[in-house]
Amino acid sequence: MELTFLAESVISGVLLGGIYALLSVGFGLTWGTMQVLNISHAVFAVLGAYVAYWCFVKGGVDPLLSVPFLAFLLFLLGGAVYRVVIRPVTKARDTVMGSMVVSFGLAIVVENIMSGLWHPDPRILKPSYTDTSLFIGEMVIGKGPLIGFAMAIVAIALLYAFLHHTFTGKAVQATWQNPTGAVLVGINRDRVSLITFGLSIASAGVAGVAMALIYSFYPSVHNDWTLYVFLLTIVGGVGSIIGTALTGLLIGLIMGVCAAFLPFIWVNILLFALLLVILLFKPEGIFGL
Amino acid sequence: MRDSILELSTEAPRPRVNTSRAGLIAVICLILLASLPLFRPPLFFLSLLISIFLFVSLTESWNLMGGYAGYISLGHVVFFSIGAYTTAVGMNVFGASPFLTAVPGGIIAGAVAAIVGYPVLRLKGAYFSISSLLMAVIFQLVFLNWTFVGGSTGLWYKLMPVSIGANRAIFYEVMLGIALLTTLVVRHVERSKFGAGLITLREDEDVARTIGINTAWLKLKAFILGSFFAGLAGGIYGYYLSFIQPDITFNINTSLLILMMAFFGGCMTWTGPLLGAVLLSLTNQLIVTFIGAEISRILYGLILILLMIFMPNGIVEFLRARRSPR
Amino acid sequence: MLEGIGVVRRFGGLTAVNHFDFQVEKGRIVGLIGPNGSGKSTLFNVITGFYPADAGRIVFQGEDITRRKTHEIARLGIGRTFQLVRPLLGMTVLENVATAVLYGRDQEGSMAKARGRALELLRFLRLDEKRDLPASGLVAAERKRLEIARALAIRPSLILLDETFSGLSETEVRESIGLIFKIRNELGITVFLIEHVMKAVMETCEKIIVIHYGVKLAEGPPKEVSRNKAVIDAYLGQKHA
Repeated sequence: MELTFLAESVISGVLLGGIYALLSVGFGLTWGTMQVLNISHAVFAVLGAYVAYWCFVKGGVDPLLSVPFLAFLLFLLGGAVYRVVIRPVTKARDTVMGSMVVSFGLAIVVENIMSGLWHPDPRILKPSYTDTSLFIGEMVIGKGPLIGFAMAIVAIALLYAFLHHTFTGKAVQATWQNPTGAVLVGINRDRVSLITFGLSIASAGVAGVAMALIYSFYPSVHNDWTLYVFLLTIVGGVGSIIGTALTGLLIGLIMGVCAAFLPFIWVNILLFALLLVILLFKPEGIFGL
Repeated sequence: MRDSILELSTEAPRPRVNTSRAGLIAVICLILLASLPLFRPPLFFLSLLISIFLFVSLTESWNLMGGYAGYISLGHVVFFSIGAYTTAVGMNVFGASPFLTAVPGGIIAGAVAAIVGYPVLRLKGAYFSISSLLMAVIFQLVFLNWTFVGGSTGLWYKLMPVSIGANRAIFYEVMLGIALLTTLVVRHVERSKFGAGLITLREDEDVARTIGINTAWLKLKAFILGSFFAGLAGGIYGYYLSFIQPDITFNINTSLLILMMAFFGGCMTWTGPLLGAVLLSLTNQLIVTFIGAEISRILYGLILILLMIFMPNGIVEFLRARRSPR
Repeated sequence: MLEGIGVVRRFGGLTAVNHFDFQVEKGRIVGLIGPNGSGKSTLFNVITGFYPADAGRIVFQGEDITRRKTHEIARLGIGRTFQLVRPLLGMTVLENVATAVLYGRDQEGSMAKARGRALELLRFLRLDEKRDLPASGLVAAERKRLEIARALAIRPSLILLDETFSGLSETEVRESIGLIFKIRNELGITVFLIEHVMKAVMETCEKIIVIHYGVKLAEGPPKEVSRNKAVIDAYLGQKHA
């Protein structure tokens, strides 16, 4: 087994894992703070990818430049979605089931709107710098994955900084840890939920752009992405950004190693089965609270 | 005379229904439904009803775990598929008619449920739901790569040597029978000691244990029973489709549809899944017929969202709240 | 009837129950008292199988139940209430109790018989008029009685009562004291109770065990224990001496 090949595979895996990590962090955020299982989370990642794509193809705007803009846009969209769709559900008796149903509806709507507007042909983001690759020793690493990974890491770091070093962020954490207590100390739970959901969707969008630099995307690809989101959130622990991030890298590593030895399909089976096993012995997740 | 633990109350906060009259209406409806093919309705109508019968079976059987025990499984399709694949393999490899192998299909589904359920049922709430989803994904991936069952190419059933009309009618009656059987069994469970235990489990699992309920075993029983009926339905429905393939049978959309039907119809009693399956299927069909297939998906999604916003606890709860102001 | 020998239960670095020996004799009313956090509820949880014991044994009617599961222990004849009552809110009062009859020691199969027995118990606890109300419609004192009714419904020989008297008014305390005696005298059930309300403890218990940070501090009849200096210093204060 060629070492170079293995190393390339592992690195590819880890880079991809980092992007999945960003995608999952937002999902875990809404689960943790509001008990909302947002099945449509990955759909907004796809939306983000499309926005960046059109900005690039029609407007010539480099994805790296359009990302902050679309993050903001999606933050607003997330807030609107929260107000209109999610908030009523949080008042229901069974928020978990209710949120699954409503987000499923949302996913259908958004996916089909995208499909109708932009057609289900696969697309990919290919700014010119992704055509070249990085050469380390004998390894070849595509620039696309590297930049996507960098984007994801920066976004995760920003999220982490927000949660731990800003007042609002700490309010979000407080709500997460103890909803009743948070309200009692004067935290406006509704506003916190609004911000949290907005951030969640925004981060999904950024993850989508990062993903689009590596792989082609189409409206229904969110289904595949969602499975990884579930995986990572549960194993990484719903309570932890660092945990989810590290899990992403770990999963990426495992994927990379397995991909070097097994046909791709078996990698997935192994991964999911492994994760089910972990769940059975440690339901809180490896890093969970 | 109703005997279920849920009916012990004299001032039950549930709608009073004249039992014998309701029973009579039900029997009349059943007779009408069963004799429908004799009137030679348009084939697509029979098809619609067949799919409704399927969803009634799936949602009712799902509700044992989902509604009564409160364990929301997103993997019910797995058992449906196992039933289908059992009859398909039975036909292709052993030449056996699916009408004979459907019950064994259900039994195999039940067996798989026992094996998978034993560890997975130890999880709670959202963790259980997501694990059940992961289980479904694993099964789908395995079946996609398993050449014996056709892998990604799928399996074909041999068609019955009868006309399309007769073919449709036969499946109609059989699926009606399965839907009826499933519903009756679930209704029986609801009124029995088994049902009382499941509901207690949902309310407070710790308390359930302190009053002597073997929660692990009860959950497993419900899981196995529900899976059996899903497998049974799958065994026949696969034959009806005459072609099965992992992407079709293990589709997570089906799981989500079941969830929605139970949710909107009401998951607390046996009438809920029935109502939900009928309502949502008809709604979908109406949209597709009158508005067009492309926009139908978007509209369906929108309706779901709207329903959730205005009736976050399901239709039945909504109606009850409107009827009896507290 | 119930005996604990060297029971140990740890939570990480904290030893909640520390080589604790205790005995609850058949037909007696025994009390377990101690400051908050001293391990009382933990002991109940270990006895009923919610937590496994890290060491030691629990013996009930001659049978070692240390490794048994909660539902088995219930069926063997130990009923319990919870400190923060846990009514089955979505079910009616009658249903709450009837389910316990179905799954308790009687393993009753008939719904009608279960209903009948449940009604008897509700009468015993003066809840029969509220039998068709959802449990969520009961006030606090009634919920406590429901909790007890449910525990009694499994036909236990021993009942573990966890702070039944907390939050009750003077009248309610007096009524509940009477209830405890009724449970022992009329139903023949041994009572083991955790309590902070000293009046209740002094009046009902024939023996008191004092637990302090997981360790047995004293044991004996109420008069003796209330004069024990260590107990006074640790918990009681002078008032009850």
